[in-house]
Amino acid sequence: MSEKLLELKNITMKFGGVTALSEVNLHVSKGEIAALIGPNGAGKTTVFNVVTGVYKPTSGEVNFVGQSVVGKKRYQVTKMGIARTFQNIRLFGESTALENVVTGADVHSKSGVVGAIFGTPRSRREEAAALERGMELLEFMGLKHRAGQLGKNLPYGDQRRLEIARALATNPQLLLLDEPAAGFNPAEKVALAATIRKIRDAGYTVLLIEHDMSLIMDISDRVAVLDFGQKIADDVPKVVQNDPRVIEAYLGAPADAS
Amino acid sequence: MADKKNRYNIRDHAATYWENSPKWRRVSMSIAFIAFFYALPFLNNPLVNTPGSDFQSVLFYPVGMYVLMAIGLNIVVGKSGLLDLGYVAFFAIGAYTMAILGTHTALNFWEILPIGIALSMVAGVLLGTPTLRLRGDYLAIVTLGFGEIVRIVAVNIEAIGGPRGIAGIPTPPDLFKAKFTILDPKPYYWVLLTFTLLVIWMVRRMAARRPGRAWDAIRQDDDVAQLMGVNTLKYKVWAFVLGAAVAGAGGVLYASQILSIVPDQFNLNVSILILACVVFGGIGNLWGVILGAALLAFTPERIRFLSQPRILVFGIALVVMMNLRPDGILPKKKREHFDPNWKSVEESGEGEIK
Ligand SMILES: Nc1ncnc2c1ncn2[C@@H]1O[C@H](COP(=O)(O)OP(=O)(O)OP(=O)(O)O)[C@@H](O)[C@H]1O
Ligand SMILES: [Mg+2]
Repeated sequence: MSEKLLELKNITMKFGGVTALSEVNLHVSKGEIAALIGPNGAGKTTVFNVVTGVYKPTSGEVNFVGQSVVGKKRYQVTKMGIARTFQNIRLFGESTALENVVTGADVHSKSGVVGAIFGTPRSRREEAAALERGMELLEFMGLKHRAGQLGKNLPYGDQRRLEIARALATNPQLLLLDEPAAGFNPAEKVALAATIRKIRDAGYTVLLIEHDMSLIMDISDRVAVLDFGQKIADDVPKVVQNDPRVIEAYLGAPADAS
Repeated sequence: MADKKNRYNIRDHAATYWENSPKWRRVSMSIAFIAFFYALPFLNNPLVNTPGSDFQSVLFYPVGMYVLMAIGLNIVVGKSGLLDLGYVAFFAIGAYTMAILGTHTALNFWEILPIGIALSMVAGVLLGTPTLRLRGDYLAIVTLGFGEIVRIVAVNIEAIGGPRGIAGIPTPPDLFKAKFTILDPKPYYWVLLTFTLLVIWMVRRMAARRPGRAWDAIRQDDDVAQLMGVNTLKYKVWAFVLGAAVAGAGGVLYASQILSIVPDQFNLNVSILILACVVFGGIGNLWGVILGAALLAFTPERIRFLSQPRILVFGIALVVMMNLRPDGILPKKKREHFDPNWKSVEESGEGEIK
């Protein structure tokens, strides 16, 4: 339980004059559901962007299973085992749901253009495996009936779930979810919580950004709180909930109602 | 939206018919289709005849050549979304390879062909690797520059004829009793058609497999593609190189038919025209691109009897068309499947994940 999968050490991220993250230390242990919360603009999404190689931190280290992530190409980070979803849905809208997921599943295929042209046995095998994996994940996320429909034409909730399916298709060790419940009604949130637990039970580790406190308190093993780019708390949900600094951060700058 | 879905759609019906056809019917339809195109030079119909020019020659150039090039450029522009304004450069490299090796060595057309393709591909890698990190407009400008540079280099090297180019390029040796001569464009057309069918076959295979998905992802959202594990630079370079290979093959064949080339044949206009074929036909859709290229190449020849005003007529027709069908004649449109059991891979137990 205590094996650190992901570890951020003294991460500072500046955008010109804006310091989005300042000296943040954070870790995620293998097998847990960790949560990252904080008011709007606290730097939560920036943490994901630093971890997945979208931004190179101004200073500090990011280690994933003992390997540095900083300076790695984005697709290499994904190959190492980190996958994510996006706060603003970013599906491949002109591709079918199945193609979206299979694109993720392709990460671990070895065959490419030449294999595709000549239809080599390896290419055929990998295509079949990726397709099967894609269908499996669509089914897991309750999207099997959407397989042949375009990403952009799916209902909102299904789009969010499809993003999770696509991320899972890369076989990540660590799954980063950026506000997966945004815009969900209470029933959908409950279902999502169950899904996230199921994902964890299947052996994945989850780091989740969320604004909905009850969801966070319900499913997370540990909660880290960011405020203006600084980590102000990091503990089990019960303790964090009653931390005066956390309460102040939220009262000072109330989170949106979602 | 709703009425669009219900509208009778020839393309969807045709696609459904095809998908539901048994294998023998698909095979026989394909054979009939292909046979028709091999027989096309013998077609003698006042509708397609090109007064003022020889129909059989027009079939080889510009029609067939434009179709081949448009399919190649469509891999780059249509599939991967990379705006390449210097596509003619690869055509020129193929043509010059044929011209130089054909006049200076004993190698024949069939031996030069793979060399021309390989050199175009190498040029594609050399140009693509540094520049495909650029996006959109920047890439367009760099490729435009590359296209012009190749032409200008050819103009300035005296050893390859400078502005006068190279004459006396040998024709291909006989093949299955077919003689390649300046007087008979048919064998060239058949070779070109064979190239084209091969390229269509390759493109379709790639589109349905991993490279196709990678290009789709790159075109739609490069950042997300990377984050989903697509090595975007690698697949962009591949698209570029494959496009280059197609143009290179076209160039080798073109030079062996035209027998003398000058650098000015490979100017920016060619790149723009091929791009126009792609856009006009329906960017990203293979059949649309083929139809677009055939029409754009054929029409000016068909109306050649109008002499001077023909380009004006042609231009007006283009503008009208693009207003009527802004996404091209046969726009890229992905078919959706609403059948819940579509493509169900064998049932996997209760939606568990491993
Ligand atoms: N690319 C960027 N350029 C400049 N500033 C940025 C950039 N990305 C983030 N920021 C700034 O960094 C700060 C943190 O942004 P971030 O998106 O990480 O917040 P967040 O905690 O995810 O907020 P929210 O709850 O609204 O999603 C903000 O002030 C934001 O404006
Ligand atoms: Mg955010």
